[in-house]
Amino acid sequence: MSLWSNPITMIFLLSSTLSIIAAIFIVYHKSIVYSAFFLSMLGVGNAILFALLGFPIISLFHLSVYVGAAVTFILFSVAMLKEAPSVEPPIKALAVLSVIILTIILIKVLSPFSAEPSFFLNYRELTSLLVTKYWFALIVAAMALMTALIGAITIARREV
Amino acid sequence: MEVFWYLIVSSILFAIGVYGLITKRNIIRMLLSAEVIFNAALLTFLSLASLDAAYGAMGGAIVIIAISLSAAEVGVIVSIAIMMFRMRKTLDVYELRKFKG
Repeated sequence: MSLWSNPITMIFLLSSTLSIIAAIFIVYHKSIVYSAFFLSMLGVGNAILFALLGFPIISLFHLSVYVGAAVTFILFSVAMLKEAPSVEPPIKALAVLSVIILTIILIKVLSPFSAEPSFFLNYRELTSLLVTKYWFALIVAAMALMTALIGAITIARREV
Repeated sequence: MEVFWYLIVSSILFAIGVYGLITKRNIIRMLLSAEVIFNAALLTFLSLASLDAAYGAMGGAIVIIAISLSAAEVGVIVSIAIMMFRMRKTLDVYELRKFKG
């Protein structure tokens, strides 16, 4: 009874259910536009889980950058494309079998980690780590974003 | 909540993403399945990083860089898909074989 009355448990159950149902709909929904919409739902559920783990800044970043920019970009791009039914490869039974085996192996590998999360991310600590230890990764990420922007503009503007 | 339950959720998400990646041939659908796998990987990474206070901030920094790089990756793949749709009028990845040099 105390397990269900705990608000953190309730939020975890709701957000994990939202994430898993959204992931199933991403794979199974007939329309790609709705699949992209459910990807944003998966992002929201995952952001709640990040906040529960003690990373509220990462959660906000995930909501604003991933859900707000990347998924919206996919959504609007997919809305421009005409949906064409493509042939699915006939390997569903094999895929289900391999996925079940994969899940069992993953749960077996990850089962030793069963402690409570004991961390709360400090904004000052995160930013100082980013600009002191990971400054090169930050610059590479910025350059990759700029290159992707230039590449996307070039590909989109080229006349075929 | 123990970290183990978060890891179970991420394992299930990973499995669903792998299933979608195996069984679909539409390039956008494969991208969406790969994004499900990416979300599962982020959840696993942060769950394991939250176990130890010494590594928590490091995990957060790496995840922030990973999320921003994923935005770049999504932009590139969607522009490839749009280009492919313009040239071939299809989104089937088997058609990509004909693009080989």
